[in-house]
This record gives sequence, structure tokens and C-alpha cells, in this order.
Amino acid sequence: MDDPKPDALLPLPPAVFHILIALADRDRHGYSIMQDVAARTNGKVQLSAGTLYSSIRRMLEQGLIEELRESPDPSSTDERRRYYALTRFGRRVAAAEVERLNALVQQARATGLVRSS
Amino acid sequence: MRATSLYEALLRCYPSAFRDEYGSQMRLMFAEQLDAARRTGRRLEQAAIWMRAAADTLIVAPREHGHVIAQDLRYAVRMMAAAPGFALVAIVSLALGIGANTAIFSLWNGVLHAPLPSVQKPEQLVMLTDPSQSGSWTGRMDFRSDGFRPWLTYDEFEDLRQHADLFSALMASQSGLSTWDVRVDGGDWEEARGRLVSDGFFQMLGVGSAIGRVFTATDNCVASPCAVISHTYWQRRFGGRPDVLGKSLAVRRGTVVIIGVAPRGFIGESAGQQPDVWLPLHTQPIMLPGVDRLHDTPPNKVMWLQVFGRLKPGVTPAQAESQANAIFQAGLEPFYGAYATGDRRNDYLDQRLQLHSGARGASASRAELSESLTALLVAVGVLLLIACANLANLLLARGAARRPEIALRVSLGASRSRIMRQLITESVTLAALGGVAALAVAYMLHRVLVAMLAQSDSRFEIGFTVDPRVLGFVVMATLAAALLFGVLPAWQATQADLGSTLKEQNRGSTGSLRQMRSGRALVSLQLAMSLPLLVGAGLLARTVYNLQTVDLGFPADRMMMTRIDLREAGYEGARRDGMLRDLQGAFQRTPGVRAASFSQLGIFSGGESSTTIDVEGYTPKSNKDRSSARDVVGPNYFTTLGVPITLGRDIVDSDRAEGPTVCVVNEAFAKLFFEGRNPLGMRITALDDGRQRISYQVVGVAKNARTQTLRSEIPPRYFVAALQQVSQMRSPTFLIRTSAVPSTVAATVRRTIERADAGLPILSVSSVESEMFPLTAQDRTTAQLAVAFGCVALALAAIGLYGVLSYGIARRTSEIAVRIALGAERRRVVSMILGETAFLVGVGLVCGGGLAYLATRLIGSRLYGVAPEDPVTMVSATAILLVVAFGAAYLPARRASRLDPVVALRHA
Repeated sequence: MDDPKPDALLPLPPAVFHILIALADRDRHGYSIMQDVAARTNGKVQLSAGTLYSSIRRMLEQGLIEELRESPDPSSTDERRRYYALTRFGRRVAAAEVERLNALVQQARATGLVRSS
Repeated sequence: MRATSLYEALLRCYPSAFRDEYGSQMRLMFAEQLDAARRTGRRLEQAAIWMRAAADTLIVAPREHGHVIAQDLRYAVRMMAAAPGFALVAIVSLALGIGANTAIFSLWNGVLHAPLPSVQKPEQLVMLTDPSQSGSWTGRMDFRSDGFRPWLTYDEFEDLRQHADLFSALMASQSGLSTWDVRVDGGDWEEARGRLVSDGFFQMLGVGSAIGRVFTATDNCVASPCAVISHTYWQRRFGGRPDVLGKSLAVRRGTVVIIGVAPRGFIGESAGQQPDVWLPLHTQPIMLPGVDRLHDTPPNKVMWLQVFGRLKPGVTPAQAESQANAIFQAGLEPFYGAYATGDRRNDYLDQRLQLHSGARGASASRAELSESLTALLVAVGVLLLIACANLANLLLARGAARRPEIALRVSLGASRSRIMRQLITESVTLAALGGVAALAVAYMLHRVLVAMLAQSDSRFEIGFTVDPRVLGFVVMATLAAALLFGVLPAWQATQADLGSTLKEQNRGSTGSLRQMRSGRALVSLQLAMSLPLLVGAGLLARTVYNLQTVDLGFPADRMMMTRIDLREAGYEGARRDGMLRDLQGAFQRTPGVRAASFSQLGIFSGGESSTTIDVEGYTPKSNKDRSSARDVVGPNYFTTLGVPITLGRDIVDSDRAEGPTVCVVNEAFAKLFFEGRNPLGMRITALDDGRQRISYQVVGVAKNARTQTLRSEIPPRYFVAALQQVSQMRSPTFLIRTSAVPSTVAATVRRTIERADAGLPILSVSSVESEMFPLTAQDRTTAQLAVAFGCVALALAAIGLYGVLSYGIARRTSEIAVRIALGAERRRVVSMILGETAFLVGVGLVCGGGLAYLATRLIGSRLYGVAPEDPVTMVSATAILLVVAFGAAYLPARRASRLDPVVALRHA
């Protein structure tokens, strides 16, 4: 099945983008994603379980992430947790979103809405 | 732990599939978050986590449900596309069923509940006259009333308007719609319908004008009276052009000028009527010539106005009614003066006003129509139930065919409730599509129904409006239908033992015993519901037949009638008598005419006339026998009509003004007032609505004749000679007995009148039969619809029975094949199946009988000449049901008996 174009999914909802960022450096389970997002945003973005798993469900359907069959952490004794990883398509979509946001920022600087730092 | 059970409750808000998939993770995560917060010791953080979880649920749970619904809808559409035939059948049946229900509900709603359209705050309107009465009465008092006045006089209205200060506004309008001959721009005479209304009419209803203006109290349009036309009339007759303002409408006796157009949708104060024009009350002398309706001469009052009002804020209806009555009754005594003395005093003064709600406007046909419509609504609702039962059976069968698919899904992890949810979504989708199509069906059916009902009242008009109540009804009906036909099959499809299903894949037909039983129960239900519809239809059809063949007491065919306006043409006194005699003679000499006479009331004209009387040797026992109906007739009236005279003689030509005043009475009169005595020679003294007491000698007794109404009892009536009367006969009706069909004589009749006087207005030319026809129109409509519903119900039940039996036989192919192979006679197979049918039908009939009993109570008041429990109708309906049921069963039975056991068993 052909992957749909990344642009078709833009703009990404904020929660989805945060999850993509969290999964970029390593595969995580749900609670870990939530902690990572909270840490990176200094507590400003707190993903609740409902929002998180609703987004995860959608991202699984869209092919942005995949669920791992085994825990990536061999030392983890917690078999109850389910781990998620970025797919290649997910990385492409994340990159496309970053490009879009960059373009917006540049336009804001160009029109003088914000000063170039 | 309390926290976990609380979180469980939040989780329950999510769809079960989502919960099954991610529930454990969410619980884990929540527990860890709470733990972490507890370790920091900050209570605020724990509370914040709970708040966030709750808010999260509120937002995300509905979104997830929406996602599931969208999935189910997509699946449902795919399933429908895969079986387009079934989907089409379902949608069409639903559209027809829900559409028919909506059409009748909309009519029922419009007649019974809808407030007056385009009127400001209709819920504040009250009426001081009777909303269900339409017409007028001239005389001393209204004999028919129970003391409550149906209409008021102009003087009484003015009195109230000036003194009843608990009302913020009062207006009066003519009760009953008039039809006038009008001429636009000097063209041909055409008809326009309208009524006279008081100056404050439009203001009081809070209605402005679409273009131009409306007349007000300060208008001084005496010179050229102002008229306001309706929006419909403006569009229809004047093409919606603004140049209509200032146009003159010529009427027979004058001209009126159009000064404005009423807003779109405004019909005035009477529901179900669309007038073309409104004119001020003071134009009465030219618009309704004859009796002076604006001034009453004691002791006679012209009661012709219905009165509407609005109460001042804070005033209760009881207070307003009291004040109105006080003013009204205070005016009675001074008016009647010397007449209201002695033992007649109470009769005159015992008149009262009653306050009614005016929100729905006045409507004479409301009560009668609502009975018919309620019965029809029930019938069409039953029809929808029967159609839903058929759909349910169809879905049950389809459920059987889809069991492999469902079994697979269950084995792949779908929960039963998830699948049931999806199946019900399919039903709701079908129903929704049917519901949308139903609106179009309803619109068309509504127009048909209104046209059918307008046969009995050509002024009847109700538009198809989708007001919130109607829309709500469609939605409810659609949902109810979806649940009725969707839930049982969905439940059954997911309950089945699916493990064995997958193994049974190779069988040609699969099905469970439970399914068979549901199907058969549904069919019994269908048959049970069809029986009351058939019985009801039969009773209504017999009612129509009875009404149409009722013994009138005279032959109704070959009787022409024509009504002319003598007063309008200026004929009075002796000149009038002369014209009456001339015309009667001229008609009698016309070829094709066997006899001719005339009368004041005519036949089935909708009018009535009665006076107080004193009968020699009879003491009245109550108020009822102080008066009698009467008619004023020409010579040979009874002979012309064909009513036998049982005693004495008819009114004849020699009964002139110079001779003794005579009268003929009908049998009902003789029975009531003479009680076995010989009426001939007895004297009756009538208080004429002139000012005199006239004494008549009875010279004849005629058989009872039904000349005014079809349903009610024939009242006691006395007939006096027209040529002996001083007043009366403003517009007599000539009765012409023809030897051929009346229509052939119509032209000759017109020519005869024109030859006598070309300026004599001919108010109508028709036959008795054509006057009778509209009287039964409503009953005919109801009966036609009931018969149609009964037939459709029967057809649906037959289809259902056929389907269930065929299915059952298909399932038992092997069993039947084995029986035949082992030597069972084909006939035994047929009788076995018919025997099972008999059980189904028997159960259906027993339940149906009970329902039929209840149903006939519903229509009891509409019946004529047939009792609700009429055994003949019951038995016939049952017989028809049996014939159809066994006919539907015969085909599958025969097919079963024709099974080739070898072929059948090979495929098993």
C-alpha cells in the first residue's frame, strides 16, 4: 500500500507533533512519552491519558508510528507496557511539519511581525 | 481502591473497543501520575491531575465515539452498496411508511394544534364567541344554544369594545366566508371569497401590510370603501404586481378600492380558510345586502360576528369573562324591553358569553376532522409497524446469511456489543435515508389529502409546513422504526452459536431455531395488526354506503335546484309573489320538466329556520317543545319533491293571502305535538320573526323527508305557504323535477329565468345529487384511506408470511426431502405446512380480534347505520384475512411438495 503524501496530514495537531518529537530519540511507552513532553515544555504541556492514547490510535492508523512487539528495554521487568516507535513515514511527516513551521516563522520575521533574534 | 474505581467510571465513557485496547495502559499511566504527585506531597497537583483527567474525558470520549460512528457509517454504506436491492426495498418501504405518517400527522397538527399563522403572539388571543360555530342567526335569540352565544351582534360588539376595559383590544369578524361576484378592471364577473371585519382587525392581530396599508379606525373610506386583499389572491389574480394598489373591484352593488395587501401566510382569524379579501363592517349594505346587520330592531337580533380580544397584562381569563358578561347581559334587558316579561323573561335574558382560547383561531370543522384524522393517524401508525415487522424479517434472514462474516469478526477479536452497535448503525442509516425521502413523500401525500378533504368544504386549505413538531415527529418515527426493525435481528445475529457456524459453512441454508421463532412471531403480529385495519375499513366503507343510500323520503335523482335573489333585483310584496308564480308556471311549462315548486330553505343548503310556536291542545314540557323547525314553500311543494302526503293535502295554488292561513306538518311534528290526535283542523300559532303572531290551520301531514342533513334525526317541521307570507323568500330555491338527467335541463332553466327578468341574479344552479355529494366527502375520504391502508397492511402481512414460510422450508429442505423419499404423500407435506400456517394465523386472529375491538371504539362516532361490533364486518374481514394468508402459504407449500428428494439431498 502506498504511503499517502506527508503533506496530506499537515498541519499536525499539537499533541501529535509532541508525540513525534518524543519518539524521535528513542522508542517509548505511553507514560514515558507524557513525561518527556512535560519535561521538554517545562510542564506547560501535560498530555492526559485520553488525549495521548486517542492520538496514538490515530497515528497508528495513519502509519506515523508502530507498536513494538517486544519491549526495547531488555532490563525492563514490566511486560504490561506497550512501546511505540516512529516509522520512516512518521519521520517524513515530522520533517514536513517542521518545514511548514519554519516557513511560517520566516514569513513572520520577513514582515516584521517579530524581530529576528 | 476508591481512586481506581473512580477512574474506571471515567474510562466507561469511552467506546468499549477503545477501552479494551488502551484501557490497561491508561489505568497504569494514571496510577503512575497520581503516585508521582503524591510523592511530591503537593495536594494541589493531585487535584490538578484529577481535573485534567475529567476534562480530558469530556473532550476525547465524544471524539472517539464519533470515530466509531464514522467507521460504522462507512461500513454500513459499503454493506448497502453490496446489497442494493435490499437497501432499496428497505428505504422505499420506510419512505412510504414514515411519509404517510408524517403527512397525516402534519394535517392533524395543522388542524388541531397549529396556532394562527402570521399573527402576533397568537397564544394571547381569546374569543368571546364560539370557535366551533360558523354562520349567523337572525331572530329573537338563538334557540340552539345552551345559553352560550355562538355569535354577537354589531351593537353588542360595539358595547363591549367601548366598555370592556380589561381587554387591551377587541375586534369582530364575520363568521363564515362569503363568496362574492367581483369584476376587475371591467372584465367578466368572477368569484372572490372574503369577509367583513371591524376596523381594528389588523391592528389587533398585530399584522401590517405587505404593500400599501391596512384599514384602521380612523379610515374614512365611506365614499369608496377600502379593501385589503390576501397575499395569495394578490399573487394568483394580480400576478404580485404593485399596481394592484388603487385598483377598483366592482361588486354587484358598488365598488371597493384595494388599499393594501396582507402579509404572506396571513389567513385571518379562522383556521383552514384562505380568504381573498377583507372589507370593513360598514360596507355590509353593499356586500351583504338584505337584513340590516349593523342595527338591531327589538326584539330581533342579527347574530353574525365572532369576537376576538387580547387581555391586558395581569388580567385573568375569569375576570375578563365576568366583565364581558356583565356588560353583555346589562344590555339585554333594555333591548328586549316589553318582550322579556312574565314567563318568557328567563328565555330572553338567559344568554351568556363564554371565553375561549383564540390561539388556534375559529374552525367549524375542527372537531369532526380531528376525529377522522386521529383514527387515520392510528391506522397509518399500525401500517408502519407492519412494514417494520417485514423489514425485521428481512434483516433476520440477512443476518443468517451474514453469520460467517460475523463469526469471523468475532474470532478476530471484535466484541459482540461492538458488532451489534455496527448492525444497529446500519439500521439507523437505512431509516435515516428513508426518513429524508419521507419528507418528499409526505409533501405529496399532504396535497392529496387536502384535495380529498376539500371535496366537502371547498374553502378548506392547509399548507404543508415543517414546523418543529412535525420535524420532531419525523425524527422520532425514523428512530422508532430503526429500533423496531433493527434491534431484534442485530441481537439475534450476535447471539448465535458462532463456533458451529464456521463449521456449517458448506450448508446451503443456515439458521437457528430461535430465528425461525422470531420470524413466525413477527408474522403473527403482522396478521394481528392487519385485522383491526380491515375491520375499520369495512365499517367505514359501510358507513359511506349507508350515507349514500340513506332513505331521504323522496327521490333524489332528477331534481334540479336553482336559487335566485329576488331581494337583490328589487322584488317586494305583490311583485315578488307575482314573479314567484310566473317562474313556477314557466318552469312547469318547460319541456323535460314534470313538476316545479319552490321553498325558502332549499335542499341540503346548510341553512335552517325555526320559530317559537304554540300548538293547540299541547302543553310544552320543556324549552325544546316550544319551537319547531319550519320552511316556507310554494304550491305543490310535496308533490314536486315526491314526498307522500299521509293525511289531508299539499299546499296548493289556491292558498293565497286572501284565504285562511294554512300549513302542512311532517310526521315528526305530528308525533311530538299531537300525540295521536288527528292534526287536521288543529291550529298552530307561530311567533313570526316579523312582529306578529300568525295562526295556521293544519291541512296536511307529510311523510318525514331528509332535506337538510344526512346524519341527524329529522326534526319536527311545519310548512307554510309562501304566497301567504308577507316577508321571507329573499332568495328562494326553485325545485324542478325533471324527466331526464338534470344537467340537460340546466341551460333551459337559466334561459327561462333570463326571459322572465334578465337582471335576476342566479345564485346557483345544481342538482340535489351534486349538493349531497360533498356532504359525504369527508366520510368517503376516510373510508377510502382506511381501505387503502387495510389492503396495504394485508399485502405486507402476506409477503411476510410468504417470506417466513419459504425460509422455513428452505431450512428444512433435507427433512422434507427425506420424508418424501420415505414415501410421504405430497399432499401430507402440503397439509403439514398449511397446518403450521394455521397455528400462526390462529394466534394472529385471536390477538387481532382484541385489537379490532379497541380500534372500533376509536371510530365509533363516525359510523352511521352500522354498530362498531357489527358481526358481518368482523366475519368478512376475518374471512379475507384467512383467504389471503392461506393463499400466501399455498405457494411455498406447493413448492415443498414438489421437491425432488434426490436433488435436494445431494445439495444438502
